Amino acid sequence: MFGPHVTGPVVSSPAVIGTVLAEGANGFIGHSALIIGFAACLFAALGLVAATTTHNPRLLRAVQSYGWLALVGAVLAITVMVRALVTRDWSLAYVQKVGSYDTPALFNFTAVWSALEGSILLWLLLLAIYTAVIMRRYRHRMNDPIVAWALVVMFVVTAFFFFLALGPTDAFRAAGTPDFSRCCKGPNPLLQNHVLVLFHPPILYLGYVGFTVPFAFAIAALVTGRVGEGWLVETRRWALFAWGFLTLGIILGGWWSYEVLGWGGVWAWDPVENASFLPWLTGTAYIHSVMVQERRGMLRVWNLSLLVATFSLTILGTFLTRSGVVNSVHAFSDSTIGPFLLGAFGVVVAVSLGLIAWRGDRLRSPGAIDSPVSREGAFLANNVLFSLFAFVILLGTVFPLIVEAKDDRKIAVGSPFFDTMAQPIGLVLLFLMAVAPALPWRKASAELLRDRLFWPAWCGVATLAFAVAVGATGFAPLLAFGLAGFAAGSALRQLVLATRRQGYRGLLGRTNGGMIVHLGIILIAVALAASNSYTRSGEFTVAKGETIEFAGHTFTLVDLTDFTTARAVGIKAEISIDGGQAYAPAISKFIANGMDVATPSVKTGFTKDIYLTLENGSKPSTGVAKIKIFIKPMIVWLWIGGVLCAVGTVLAAFPGRHRRRPTDAVSAGIDLTDAPVASPKEVADV
Amino acid sequence: MSRAASLKRWPGWVLLVLVVAGLLAVGSTRDAGARTPEERVEEISKQLACPVCNGETVYESRNPSSANIRAEIKAQVTTTDATDDEIIAYIVQQFEAKTQLVPKASGFESLVWVLPAGALVCACVGLFFSFRRWRRNVDTVPDDADRAKVEAALAAEPLTEVDEP
Repeated sequence: MFGPHVTGPVVSSPAVIGTVLAEGANGFIGHSALIIGFAACLFAALGLVAATTTHNPRLLRAVQSYGWLALVGAVLAITVMVRALVTRDWSLAYVQKVGSYDTPALFNFTAVWSALEGSILLWLLLLAIYTAVIMRRYRHRMNDPIVAWALVVMFVVTAFFFFLALGPTDAFRAAGTPDFSRCCKGPNPLLQNHVLVLFHPPILYLGYVGFTVPFAFAIAALVTGRVGEGWLVETRRWALFAWGFLTLGIILGGWWSYEVLGWGGVWAWDPVENASFLPWLTGTAYIHSVMVQERRGMLRVWNLSLLVATFSLTILGTFLTRSGVVNSVHAFSDSTIGPFLLGAFGVVVAVSLGLIAWRGDRLRSPGAIDSPVSREGAFLANNVLFSLFAFVILLGTVFPLIVEAKDDRKIAVGSPFFDTMAQPIGLVLLFLMAVAPALPWRKASAELLRDRLFWPAWCGVATLAFAVAVGATGFAPLLAFGLAGFAAGSALRQLVLATRRQGYRGLLGRTNGGMIVHLGIILIAVALAASNSYTRSGEFTVAKGETIEFAGHTFTLVDLTDFTTARAVGIKAEISIDGGQAYAPAISKFIANGMDVATPSVKTGFTKDIYLTLENGSKPSTGVAKIKIFIKPMIVWLWIGGVLCAVGTVLAAFPGRHRRRPTDAVSAGIDLTDAPVASPKEVADV
Repeated sequence: MSRAASLKRWPGWVLLVLVVAGLLAVGSTRDAGARTPEERVEEISKQLACPVCNGETVYESRNPSSANIRAEIKAQVTTTDATDDEIIAYIVQQFEAKTQLVPKASGFESLVWVLPAGALVCACVGLFFSFRRWRRNVDTVPDDADRAKVEAALAAEPLTEVDEP
């Protein structure tokens, strides 16, 4: 298929090898930095425990020094790794694994996190930064036991990752003389084919790692027995921050998949994708249910459990990704890290559950949810669905392992299962997204709902009618469009009411920013429903100059040529769509490792994308190309929805005008037996 | 009553439900046309795991073995009268395709279907009992009858002054 392979740049000169192997500094400095960081974390954690019990202010000051030292260790370690990759320090096994002379500067930099060892360094760096920021933020309150214990937890977690980086995933392990015929071929070609490799992993990790902060405060609340609502207030922005990054990271992952993998989809229910989705689900449940605790002082155990689940699922996800126990296009190769991560997962779950059981008495809430038809009732239903969704995804992901362990046979659980299970849950969640913003706290009357939901419901009807008018078919997608319109109407109603009363500040705050996030999620749901239901695809063999018709469009193969770059050889087609601009899908074979990578070409539009890929079997010598065409409706709305989610999260982090304290009197019980029903005019809490 | 308020009364909602039912009925039952061979190939290939890849479907995979399977599916679709299930069985047999991607609904594999349903039922039952308990707590708030009893008791035995110790 391809022309003769081009030999890479001169990499095997003995003089060069001798020179680079003389350098051992990177390995030494890297190891030293990790050891210093590990020790600093341990000293900081022990120091904090001692300072808390002895009330020693000098010890607290020393702890801060250790905390900064840990950050310096992590920054130094990753800086040294970048330097090692940039200078091609072949004395390190990791550089031999992911480095090459041919890799462009950008991808040589991102090679830091392109394999297991480096990705743990990135995790460690972000965790050390979070820990340092928390330490700095609470530097005047470190004698407060809840802050001290939260920092102890963060230092222990950071120490664990320093340990991983020093032991099972040692990125600075020395290597022998490189055999350039077998090593030093650069990162996986899929990780050097798109600029998103620079953004997706760090942003996703910011989300993963960010949940350590609320988790640490939750554990601290349990240890100190201060299980009221104070720690929630301290951590709500951190939880939101982590959730926002996780959301953005997942969406960027979908975009990357769409742009690079060449199968025309954004989400394949791959185990590693699922591993990122699991903490997102429990985290989403948490940021909703936490409002019930702040407002009513209820669901304390449930919120703690959700935080523990979110944090432990990030560890489990890391285990699934890094241990090689599941088959995935993402998973790194087998390593010895699995037992350590599984052990950490077990410790986190056991310690957390033990603490919750220990503090059981204090966690009991005297309050009651007065009616299922209330804001808190809707949040409860939302939590049940998100938890069920997480359970389904977790079960489907690990079920092949369970069957293999039991029967010693391999099965696969793939997209058809997850799609079948996700569809009804998603539809009910859309319905709740429509109804919940209109519900008042405590209790809603039928008249109130009838009034508040009327126009949002007609918004849904209009959306459904539009979908039917433009030819949409199928019960489930039509229901999804109708419910999406309903939910969008409900969110817009909230925003209109808020901005009418407060001007631009009506877009700020958790409730209003949350409505913008809802709009983003609704767009994503619509885009997924449309693209999953109405995508059309076909494979065609086309000769140069020939025109084919598919799905109401014409495709003309204008040209089919070989190309050669420093790193790859390949074939590129030029295909004119509807007689207009030519699009150029290609296949590249990376010279270093012989791997084929598709480069799709996409004509993006507001109603549909036309997605072209060039398939194996295309021959420039004969002028015949095999192409695959996907007509994918509404995909661009998925990315727009992602942007709205990010914007909404930022707006939600700003305080709104009327900020209430969780200890305000509204938490008191009410007498439902003769309480007057709120009139529609009482929209104080919309 | 304003026109907007009268619209929002129950007749407006009944009309809404009827319109929704009508639109759903029209949209979901109208003929979308026979499935094209490409659509059948796509649907079948989404049910099969690529035999040599890491967790990808035959539909997603760009591996040559998956391309061969897609070609065979296309040949079966265009040259035989076999149903989708028959074609899947044929492909599994011919290509030793590692597995189908949908767990069976029988035997141990059925757990993957049953457990989520069980979890949903448990959650609903748990919520039912929680709300009943909460409702009972709310019901312990004194009502008019309780208040009347207290007032009657107080009237019968007036409070007496208690001497300071």
